[in-house]
Amino acid sequence: MMPWHPTPALLALCTLLASSALFAGQATQRLREIPERPQAPDFSLRDMDGVEHRLSAYRGKVVILNFWATWCPPCREEMPSMQRAWQQLKDEDIVMLAINVGEDEDRIFEFTASYPVDFPLLLDLDSAVIGSWPVRGLPTTFVIDPQGRIVYRAIGGRDWSAAGLLRKIRALK
Amino acid sequence: MKLSAIHFFRQLLTGVLLLSGAAVMAAPPVHSGVVAETGLRYWEWDGEGVLFRLTQRLPDQTRAYFMARGFAPDQADRIARRCVFQSMFKNTAAAGSPPVTIDLEDWRVQHAGREGPLLTREQWRQDFRDSAVPEAAAIALEWSLLPTQQEYAPGDYNWGMSSYGLEPGAVFDLAFSWTREGRRLQGRLSGVQCAADIHPEPKS
Repeated sequence: MMPWHPTPALLALCTLLASSALFAGQATQRLREIPERPQAPDFSLRDMDGVEHRLSAYRGKVVILNFWATWCPPCREEMPSMQRAWQQLKDEDIVMLAINVGEDEDRIFEFTASYPVDFPLLLDLDSAVIGSWPVRGLPTTFVIDPQGRIVYRAIGGRDWSAAGLLRKIRALK
Repeated sequence: MKLSAIHFFRQLLTGVLLLSGAAVMAAPPVHSGVVAETGLRYWEWDGEGVLFRLTQRLPDQTRAYFMARGFAPDQADRIARRCVFQSMFKNTAAAGSPPVTIDLEDWRVQHAGREGPLLTREQWRQDFRDSAVPEAAAIALEWSLLPTQQEYAPGDYNWGMSSYGLEPGAVFDLAFSWTREGRRLQGRLSGVQCAADIHPEPKS
């Protein structure tokens, strides 16, 4: 039996289809670079333990700032990856803050039983803080550089523990 | 002779694969079906660099969702009976492509020979302006709905509810649009059906 050699045309087609599938997977792990790097609006919010966090107090560090809610499916989906990222970043002068929009401690406490995280979960009870940020849908995440400027934005969930994202975040230090 | 026949069939197979690949790439961008786990129907546009998907929500699902967030039963019912879908919009274009913007104010619901707008966040806010709605409930409604205007870089997406203002079970067409580099592109989902107001019981 003569060995079968696929024609170049067939190989090209397979390569195209395979790269399309690969690309679709990578597509969700992108961050949009904000070219003008606007100054991040300051805020002060307390977390689940009653500790007050002022964004400007983290000047000099890279901050990953996430807006979320327990009822938002992509927020829930990305939360474990944020925890995995936090495990890798927390000793590197990088801060992770997740601002819950409009829900109380009881509801968030219940949520964290299924989605345990140990980075601060802040409470924006009256949605005043999210209203001062350029956010239109949940989740939205910003990466802020040590000068307090918004460098990246992600609308929708991401795998925050993906090597490519971690590399971009670390590069801002 | 035998080898020639084998060669012929290999080339034929290659041709068939190429043609089927081309057919996949040129497939119409609209799909619909049933979500196996729930039995609810969905309609989807997947083409020209965007993915837009509508999945039915039972009115009871929506009632329960909003009552759990502080709406009174009659208020939750008001939302639930206005044809609410779970929706997802995503910019699926390649990295480095320009962002796309949407404006739900431009989208049109076509039903029974008439055309109207979607019920956006702003319209719901107006609708409940004179009602006593707890703050947490109002915030949940606002952020649970697909944003009225949004800009999506490649890879960005939103999930959210969208409301079409029709009775449960109504069938409509949705003419939707998005803008890329100043160019307005249009899509259409036809025969979309609001979920019926049924109350399924567990099977005994």
